[in-house]
Amino acid sequence: MSTPLLRVFRFVALAGVALATLAPTARAAVTTPPAPTSHFNDYANYVPAERARALDARLAQFERDSSNQLVVAIFPRLPAGAALEDYTVRTAQAWGVGRKDRDNGAVLFVFVADRALRIEVGYGLEGSLTDAVAHAIIENELKPRLRAGDPGGALDAAVNAMITATRGEYLGTGRTPTGQNSSSPPARTSNTSDDSFFIVVFGIIAVIFLGISWVRNGFSFQNPYRDDDTDSTGGGWFGGSSSGGGGGGSDFSGGGGSFGGGGASGSW
Amino acid sequence: MKKLLIALAAVGLLALVAVLYAVGTYNGLVNGQQTVDAQWAQVQNVYQRRADLIPNLVSTVAGAANFEKSTLTEITEARASVGKVTLDASKAPADAAQLAEFEKAQGQLSSALSRLLVVSERYPDLKATGNFATLQSQLEGSENRIAVERGRFNDAALAYNASIKRVPAVFFAGIFGFKEKPYFAATTSAQTPPEVKFDFSKSTK
Repeated sequence: MSTPLLRVFRFVALAGVALATLAPTARAAVTTPPAPTSHFNDYANYVPAERARALDARLAQFERDSSNQLVVAIFPRLPAGAALEDYTVRTAQAWGVGRKDRDNGAVLFVFVADRALRIEVGYGLEGSLTDAVAHAIIENELKPRLRAGDPGGALDAAVNAMITATRGEYLGTGRTPTGQNSSSPPARTSNTSDDSFFIVVFGIIAVIFLGISWVRNGFSFQNPYRDDDTDSTGGGWFGGSSSGGGGGGSDFSGGGGSFGGGGASGSW
Repeated sequence: MKKLLIALAAVGLLALVAVLYAVGTYNGLVNGQQTVDAQWAQVQNVYQRRADLIPNLVSTVAGAANFEKSTLTEITEARASVGKVTLDASKAPADAAQLAEFEKAQGQLSSALSRLLVVSERYPDLKATGNFATLQSQLEGSENRIAVERGRFNDAALAYNASIKRVPAVFFAGIFGFKEKPYFAATTSAQTPPEVKFDFSKSTK
């Protein structure tokens, strides 16, 4: 039982753990875009910048007042091979718009080249921003103004209508998660089954190391962790913190809200 | 004597490792099963939501002057047959035949509903009423929710089915009653697109 042998053994064990973390999960589909950093995101430079800033500030203020996260995302076009509703619900879910315990998020998607619109509503706002209301916002606020070539006015009216519909559903804390540290930081949806699996794996590794050093030390516990065995005993098994990078002002950070396909679609 | 001790210690360690690993795997399977069951409840929930829209839809449409009776009776019958296929909402169906029966009934309702929407194109007065427009957007929303929750159910079932077939779970999953969960088939409407017969001068969507 020489030290090199122990090193090799430890390496193999850790490599096994590293491999296990690469669990196959994702279903083959168009990947969702990275999470936004503001409430109003004009990736297509479709709305005049001044208007966009004003709308962003209004949406951020609304989150402080009501805790509802309303997000606007304007893309140049749908990615090739993506179906509108499937893409938008997966994107909204991946961004985690809305608070985790309230699911009070909604995202207005605009795909300029496709002339496609979609309001994706989180579970917690389905009661106030119903399919019929979302449909009405698309039909009455967005479509006519977009057809008339007034994207700024269209989005202004749509944002106002979405705020009006969802106001009063929840009470805000007076802050956004990133603006100032909120009392409940956003938690990542972590798989508890994975956690228990890793605890067992780490437990096994710890037991094996213990056993080996026990044998090496002639069956006596002098100092089993004498050599730097921190990797088998270190903490952090329960999933790391995941709150997005900080930043002030109206910065947006998803709270982990869930979406179930509520809302409405349209095209102009 | 010392060798015997080493051997005993090794066997004891191995047994401990095996037990710990089995417990962890078992708990993982339980979690997976619970996820599938929870997602099944969501699926039932959105199908129920659609079924609940139908009485309102039928009464709205029936109010329209001489609306096709056959379409309406078809919907009412499909709604009734959906009600007959009752599956436990708290547990995902264990056998594929049960799920297929459920899907067949729901599929009939889907096609009856899409036919109704097509037929309604011929009744401008009906389409003009706000109530019908509202119902139509609610129906679309329901169909979309159904597609989303079915997809998530299949994802959950896929993850669970894979987990019971992996080593070491595969050795004892059967003993503890962890059985494979059936999947939803691809949407029937995706295979047989509804027949659309109205003038081509105006395009929908």
